[in-house]
Formats: sequence, structure tokens, C-alpha cells
Amino acid sequence: MSRYLLKRIFGALIVMWAVATLVFFMLRAVPGDPLAAMLFDVGDPEAAEVLRVKYGLDKPVYVQYGKWLSRVLQGDLGNSIYGSRISVLRIVSEALPRTLSLAGLSFVIALSIAVPAGLISAIKRHSSLDHAVTFVAFLGLSMPDFWLGILLIIVFAANLHWLPAIGYAPLSEGFWPWFSHLILPSIAVGTAFSAIVARMIRSSMLEVLSADYINVARSKGLHERRLVLVHAFPNALIPVITVIGIAFALLMAGAVVVENVFAIKGLGRVLIQGILNRDYPVVQGAILVVSAIFVFSNLLVDVLYTVVDPRIRYD
Amino acid sequence: MKKKTDPLLEQEKTRIKEEWDSAYDYDPRDPLFSLSQSEMSGPTLSRRSVLRLMAAAGTLTVAHLLPGVGMGSAQAAAKKGGVLNAGWAGVGELRTLDPAQINQVLLFQVASNVLSGLMHIDAQLVARGDLALDWTVSADGTEYVFALREGVTFHNGDKFTADDVVFTYNRSKDPQKSIHSRVVSNIIDASAVDDYHVKLKLEKPQASLLGKTLERSAGRAMTIVSSGALESMGLQQYGLTPVGTGPFRVTAHTMGQQLVLEKFDNYYDPDRPKLDKITIQPIIDAEPLAGAMEAGDIQIIGGNPVAPELVDRFESNPDLVVDIVPAPGFQSVWINPWRDPFKVSNFDKPIDELKKDKGFKVRLALAKAIDRDRYIHQAQFGRGVPAYGTINPAMGFFFDDSLGDRSEQRFDLEEARQLLADAGYPNGEGFPKLEIKCTPSARREVQVIKNILKTNLNVDIGVRTMDFPVLIDDFRTMNWDLLRIGSGGDYDPDDGVVDWMQTSSKFNGRDRDKAKMPFGTFSDKEVDALVDAQRFETDPDKRKAMVQKANLLTSDKVACAFIFHPVDVLVHHKSVNFPKESRIPGLMDMDRVTIS
Repeated sequence: MSRYLLKRIFGALIVMWAVATLVFFMLRAVPGDPLAAMLFDVGDPEAAEVLRVKYGLDKPVYVQYGKWLSRVLQGDLGNSIYGSRISVLRIVSEALPRTLSLAGLSFVIALSIAVPAGLISAIKRHSSLDHAVTFVAFLGLSMPDFWLGILLIIVFAANLHWLPAIGYAPLSEGFWPWFSHLILPSIAVGTAFSAIVARMIRSSMLEVLSADYINVARSKGLHERRLVLVHAFPNALIPVITVIGIAFALLMAGAVVVENVFAIKGLGRVLIQGILNRDYPVVQGAILVVSAIFVFSNLLVDVLYTVVDPRIRYD
Repeated sequence: MKKKTDPLLEQEKTRIKEEWDSAYDYDPRDPLFSLSQSEMSGPTLSRRSVLRLMAAAGTLTVAHLLPGVGMGSAQAAAKKGGVLNAGWAGVGELRTLDPAQINQVLLFQVASNVLSGLMHIDAQLVARGDLALDWTVSADGTEYVFALREGVTFHNGDKFTADDVVFTYNRSKDPQKSIHSRVVSNIIDASAVDDYHVKLKLEKPQASLLGKTLERSAGRAMTIVSSGALESMGLQQYGLTPVGTGPFRVTAHTMGQQLVLEKFDNYYDPDRPKLDKITIQPIIDAEPLAGAMEAGDIQIIGGNPVAPELVDRFESNPDLVVDIVPAPGFQSVWINPWRDPFKVSNFDKPIDELKKDKGFKVRLALAKAIDRDRYIHQAQFGRGVPAYGTINPAMGFFFDDSLGDRSEQRFDLEEARQLLADAGYPNGEGFPKLEIKCTPSARREVQVIKNILKTNLNVDIGVRTMDFPVLIDDFRTMNWDLLRIGSGGDYDPDDGVVDWMQTSSKFNGRDRDKAKMPFGTFSDKEVDALVDAQRFETDPDKRKAMVQKANLLTSDKVACAFIFHPVDVLVHHKSVNFPKESRIPGLMDMDRVTIS
């Protein structure tokens, strides 16, 4: 198992390097001069050239790449080319807890809805309850998260004044400020996620519930609840864990629209702002972190398989 | 029936004319602009002197003289204290508050509350010393000695002295350290006479020195920074949490999330600021901004202009106050003179000659087919002024409100269709499919233009959105058919005609292939000459005539299809008292703001 983990970690690092390198060169191939745009209103072409030399952007691309890579290997992700040149590590490390909070709470909300919904839907197959759950799941899948987010703001913040409309409060300011700022965006993000997981659980459970060993257990008089929760559900989890793993990684990097709606500066928003501004170091650094999240999420999913199903072993 | 004249209105008109005439009543050869040394010296500059210097610098507009502007109402004893929550519209983060790096007004709106300058012009148009207590000027207008306020401290406790002024100057003049080095290029030396006196030596007399270069808001280059804080904090941290001598200090700044300003107890004016704390959150999208305002998360909006689709909504909310004033600027659709079917390689002809040109007929047809009233109604929700040139209503004296009736670009559907037919495209048949480029935020407005042209001329225009850096690249290299872009913050004719309409203008296809394109977007010798001449014309009537003639020429010859002049909207909760003297265009000075 240790050898397997080491191999996977090594592979993960290679993937991260490949993604970061691809992004590095692609960014510089994308049209748009960041400095000219930044200083358009100033209207001083010399000011842009001074900055270009200062930031090393006048050097050949391969030279820029070499310098960047050597700094990254020393743990330095560089500095933003905008404004006060804040370090990328600082920008990303400030954004990460917000994204983690949003993704984590979305995850909890989604699973809290998806697991019971999926189980009920599978157990009461073709009943009106199953149809209702299916309908709600498709509704959740069909609603764009940003639209749902705006709706939630209008209802719960602007009209009812129950919750704040925007912003983020760290956990250090207290549980309720943190939770009250995150509950609406988490519902917006988690709704589609819960629909996908619920449908996955339903489908997986239906397959397991029709297995021979379940029929034997049922005919032996095992209580239905024990049958479902102890014997069927764990075996139905393998494909569900795969979906959850991928969805969580997507949540970490992809909730940019909801982050914009609720004015939360998470990783997604850092990435998008960086791309729009052509802030090369920020995009490169953020992509490195996002790719790390993806590959290590996948690794975690693979390890979880062995926990859920002891028959699965890696050498 | 004879119309009754309002005596108060007539009185105001007389006052405006008298102040205007007085402002321009100077000898341009006089280094002190026909003011005496005592009038130019401190501790305050009278309104009359300020208006004179603004006129000499070319920055005076009738807007500055209008009733209610500059006539700050005396504040009743307002309740002090409280926390004001502000949302900064249309921006994802406040990237820097270091004045040497600030390139956006929305950033300076914040910095102006934290940092000070030597001078500050208030809304009463009296230039008062900010950190300068008094000053004298030499007879030749090239040497200024400022007596600085004593006992002023920076937010970190460091004493403010003349060395800080010298430090700021030396930092600002270095292009490696500041993007505003050109602003101080006329100052050739700054030296500390003693701890509380500083001398500035100029290369030549400069009318805009006191009112602009050294002004705490407009200056930027001479906004006083703390050398001690820069050294101890480093550039990065200083840009996030600058240390100044202003009424508020930055106590926290999580970039992209929230900025916190707190009252500086040792501010040199014990009566200010009134508020205890201000929180500022950048809110990039319109709907969340509206939601936050309605939910009470924020009580005032600063930053970029409020999205026009929100104004009606805010106005209908009884808890909110919406204040609308003319904004300086123009917005337009540019038509590439180097591309068919509107190619024009020579604008240096009389208009009647130009009209024989097939490419010009198409340009004029497009411009004449745009129903500006309909555009403003649909795209700007009824808020805006139809534009026919760069000279906007905020320029007051220079604005020609009859241009809409005289310009060749005035809306005339029959004539537009005839022109297009004469150019070989009757009813739009055979007209090539073209593209109009714009930023994503302008997509909706451009869609309105596209629909108007389709309805009125039966021409198909595709809309292509692109990020601002790419749009700017294409704009400068002339890589477009049609392009939607404009200008803001234009208070003086120079901001319009000099920056956009001359052959050598900085926005006129600067990075084009000059071998293939001798000029960028537009070139006319007569316009070039008029614009050059008006910069040095001191007789206001003559200058006005030149500016208006140049404006008419650019309009008639379709330098671009001018669309509208925008408005400036301030929105706040009714519990917020935002006094008139703080309503300085482009700024959000909150030192006098209170909460009921």
C-alpha cells in the first residue's frame, strides 16, 4: 500500500507540473497585454515599458519559464503584477479557507439531502415518493447556481432580512457569523451537487438491492433497515464515492460564479480575476493549487475505496 | 403671454457670468496669472483665486459655478459616531492604495480618506491647506515655500515633517517607483528649509500646481506617504494598508473581501471625521450589489458607476436616496476608416466633397441611423444625454446644445437610408456582415445598437465581446470593423479633443501599422490646428469658438458615431447624511459623513 501511495504521489506531482507548464505557455499565447491594459488610462507608454522590464516580461518566454519554475521549486509562487505586487502565496492562502468553507458546507448540505433522498428513492422505487424525489432532483440539476443564489438573496436577505446578502466572515469571528454568511451560497452550490449524488445513490442502491446476497439476507428474516444500511448501502458506495470525489474537487475550483454573486473571494474568483487581468503569476499559482486539489482528491477517493470495501487492495 | 422671469434665476446667471469673466481676466504672460503674490499665497486661496488658476490651467468648467455646487450647506450639529458599510461597485478587489501605483479613480476614492496632500480644494472651491498651513510664491511664480502644520502625526505615530514632502517628491519623480512621474515633471527641486518648511522650485510657472498637482485628491503624485511606514512595512503591505495622515486609518484589508477604515483620533482637525468606522466590500456584480443595499448589508455605494438597470429600482425604494448629476465623458461607436465598406483614407476635404466618397456615405449612414433617444431609453434606462461630439454637458461653457440640430450625424432615417442606397446598398442589400467589438459589460448596450441598425438600415452587425486587455490591443492596432468604447472624467475640452481627435492623440491607433495606415481612427488638419490653438488661447470666447468648431468638424466628418454622455449616480441609505460639500465629482470623501 505504501509503495502504491508513493507511486501515486509521484504521479500526482508529474501531472501538476504538466498542467502548470501548459498553462504557463498558453497564458502567454493568449492575446492581451496585461500592462498596456492596466495603464490604459494613464496613457503613458513608457510607464508600461518600465514595468515590463521590472517584472521580467521583456525576457524570452523560455527564460521566464525557467525562472518561474526554479522559484516554484523553492516554494515561491511569485508576485501579482498588479498594484502592490502581493505575493501569490498570500493571495491563494487567503482564498483557500473561504473556498474550503464554501465547498465543505455545500458538501455537508448536499450529502444531508442526497443520502436520505437517494435511499428513500431506491427503497420506495416507483412510488409517489420516488417520483417526487426524482422531480426535485431534476429541478435542482436544471437550476443554474447563480440564478438560485440571486433568488436566495432576494428572498432571505433583501426581503426577509434573515441572512446577510454578501460577504464572508471567518470562523474566528464566531460560528454564527461564519455560518450565516455561507448558508445561502452553500445551498446555491450544493443543490445541483445533491441532485447528482441522490440520483447516483438511487441507481447504485437499486443494483445492490437486486443482488442475490440481499435476497438471501431478506429471506433469512433480517430487518429491512439493517439490510439496507449495513449490507446494501456500503456496497453501493463505491461509484458514489467516485462522483463525490470529482464533485468536491470541482466545488473547490469551480464555484466562481457563486463566489461572484455572494462577493466571496475564493479560489475560483482569484483564478478568473487573474485570467481577466492577465495577471500571469496569480493564474499560474492558482492553477498549481487547483491541480493539486484535483489529483490529491482523486488519490483520497482511491484510498477511501479500500476503507469502504476491504476486498480492494493496492500493491 | 410673456414669460415671467425668475429674479433668483437671473441673479444666478449674472453671478455665473461675472465669476466666469473674472476667472479668465488675466494676462497669460503673467507668471502669477494676474494675481498678486499675496493672493497666490496662503493660508487659503480665495474662491476668486482658485477659479482664476483653474481657468489658467484649463480646468474650469461652468459646472464648477452652478448653484448648489460649491455652495456647501452649513452642517447642523450632526450626530458623531457609527459604522458605515459601503459597497464598491463593479470591482473585484482594491488592488493597491499606494498613490504611486493607483491607476483607477475607485482606488483613489478610498486613498483620499487615508492620505493627505499639501492642499485640498473643498466643494466651495476654496483651496485650503491640507498639510500646508500657509505658503508664499515668488514674483516669477517658480518658487513656492510652504509652512507645514505642526503636530501632525501619521497613523503609526511618526511625526509629519518637511522631510516627508521631499521623500514623496523624490519617490514620485522616479518612474521605477511611481507611474505618475510625469505629473511632477515641472517641479525641478524639493527641499526642506527646516522641519516645517518646504520649498518647491518649478521650471516654469504652473497654474495647476496648487489646485491639481499638490491637491490631495487629484494629485496622486504628491499625496504624502510615510517614509518610515514604507520602510518598516515594505511595498506590498503598504499598498494594502497605507499609513497616512488622513482622517481614517486602515486597520484591516483582506484583498477582495473587505477593507476596514477606523477613525484616526489624532487627526489634525478634531471635528473630523464624524464616523467611527467604515467597511468597504468590493461587489463586482449588479444584482448582489442591489441585494446587499436592500438587505441593509451596505448603506452607500462607491467605486464604479452604478449599473443603469438598478437606478429605477433604487429610486423606487423609500429607504434609499439617489442623487444624479451630469457626468463628464462620452461614449461612442468607432468606425474603422481603413476597412470596407466605410473606408476613408483622407478626411482633409470639405464636407460636401467627403459626401461624394462611397466609404464616407456608409459612415454617415450608420451614424445618422442611430436613434440616440431610443438607445438611451433602451440601453441606459432613460438616463443620459444624446452625444454628437466629445464636448460634454459637464464642460458647461464649451458645450454646444445646438449641435444635435446642426450635426451631420443627427438622426434622420430617410437621409440615412438614402446615403446607404447611394453607396450601393439599397435597403441594406449586399451590405457585408460586420462585427462590433466590445467588453462583456457593454454587450447589452451594443445589442441595442445592433437592433437599431438592423431595424433602421437592415444591416447585420455581429457582436463580439472580448476581455478589456484584448479589446485594447485590437483598438490600438486598428484590428476591428466597429468598436464600442468611450471616455470618462473629461472636465476640460483637452480631455476630449486632445486625447481622441487629433492625428497624434494617444488613443488614435497608436500601435497601428503606420506604413499601411498613415493615421488611426481619424485625421483632419483643420481639427489638428484648432485643437492645438485652443490649448494656448486665453480669451474664453475665442477658445470656445475653436473648441466648438473642432467639435462640429469631428461630428460632421464622423470621426466616430457619438452615442451619449453618461450621468453620475450616488446611492445611499436615507440614514446616511452625505453633505453637499463632500459631493466632489469622482470622490467619496467621508470625513463629514454622518449616520442618523
